[in-house]
Amino acid sequence: MAGDDGGSLFDFDQATYDADEKVKIICLGDSAVGKSKLMERFLMDGYRPQQLSTYALTLYKYSTTIDGKTVLVDFWDTAGQERFQSMHPSYYHKAHACIMVFDVQRKITYKNLTNWYRELREYRPEIPCIVVANKIDADMKVTQRNFNFAKKQGLPLYYVSAADGTNVVKLFKDAIKLAMSYKQNSSDFMDEVLQELENFELEKKEGTSDKEDDLLQEMDQQLA
Amino acid sequence: MSYVAKRCGVKFSPPAIVLIYEDADTGKMRQRIMPVRNFSKFSDCSRAAERLKNSLRHSPYLEGVSQEQLERLHTVLRDHLLGRPLLTPRPDPGDEDLNKLEDEELACRKAQMDELFERNRRREEDPDFVYDLEVEFPESDAREPCSWDEDESDDAF
Ligand SMILES: Nc1nc2c(ncn2[C@@H]2O[C@H](COP(=O)(O)OP(=O)(O)OP(=O)(O)O)[C@@H](O)[C@H]2O)c(=O)[nH]1
Ligand SMILES: [Mg+2]
Repeated sequence: MAGDDGGSLFDFDQATYDADEKVKIICLGDSAVGKSKLMERFLMDGYRPQQLSTYALTLYKYSTTIDGKTVLVDFWDTAGQERFQSMHPSYYHKAHACIMVFDVQRKITYKNLTNWYRELREYRPEIPCIVVANKIDADMKVTQRNFNFAKKQGLPLYYVSAADGTNVVKLFKDAIKLAMSYKQNSSDFMDEVLQELENFELEKKEGTSDKEDDLLQEMDQQLA
Repeated sequence: MSYVAKRCGVKFSPPAIVLIYEDADTGKMRQRIMPVRNFSKFSDCSRAAERLKNSLRHSPYLEGVSQEQLERLHTVLRDHLLGRPLLTPRPDPGDEDLNKLEDEELACRKAQMDELFERNRRREEDPDFVYDLEVEFPESDAREPCSWDEDESDDAF
């Protein structure tokens, strides 16, 4: 858990309290396209995320300052494996932006973007989404090619490499900005209702101070 | 006795890997046909290649042929079984859905990918490491279309 990092620079509970903004960004795409490697490259070594293995989910908490405001970001790094399909609704729940990754070496991961995107739009019709062509280090020629999917959907396309680091930091910074502006400009009514309900739930079950418990419970509720 | 591999290729029916080699003792060029058994369109090319490479009968001939090359040849055979045309940009396992694999198999695939990943990796301790490495690529008008977009049968959107 984030709090157990032992002398970490930042106390996250305090940060949650003080933060001006909090956004959730989800990372989607097929198995082995490099979602986790991208997260790790952005946050660099030594960062220890919260791992919810039963849910095939890794939660990275990150804090940054944008225009003088503290922004807390929850990155949800999900698993591509099909047997976690039933988890997807909770991935999408209340997300403010989406990073959708494919592997430039494997066509099927590009073709499957259609499915990921369709599902994303079922749950989050409006949130900003960035399409990411990862592993360009393996074949730089792909950067001269147009991948029509992004264009057709009117989505930005980033050519990146988790291995050599090309455009990784830019990708995540831009994603955070998009998430922020989505949050500020959308008055997502459903979100507010859900938040109300959630507060209500939390009031009822006092004593569960363990963050991971809360998250798990939250997810159970979403699945129910 | 020693054999110097010169070229290799495939035969489709029955599926076999063909090796042209020089017998160093006699200086003669020879051809060896190695049938690929128990191989279907669902087979794991990497494993099949390993099996062949280590087989008692054939391994002495295959010393000069890398397992990667054998894997590629198996992929050609498999693509043929799948009815895919030859000369796809690269005969790689790019059409296999890794989302369906079990944990162990997936870990195995990732381990294979790690080889290239580690080779191309820039680490923090490298002298030329740049955390926020930005590279601009040509604007989309200048880009060529991608062959992956050619079979646009799924007009779901
Ligand atoms: N060459 C190269 N290989 C990469 C790159 N990013 C990831 N890989 C390789 O791809 C493998 C899979 O990456 P992961 O980050 O585990 O993939 P993932 O999308 O998180 O996969 P799941 O969590 O199973 O859905 C890694 O083990 C690396 O070997 C990259 O930028 N370049
Ligand atoms: Mg992962």
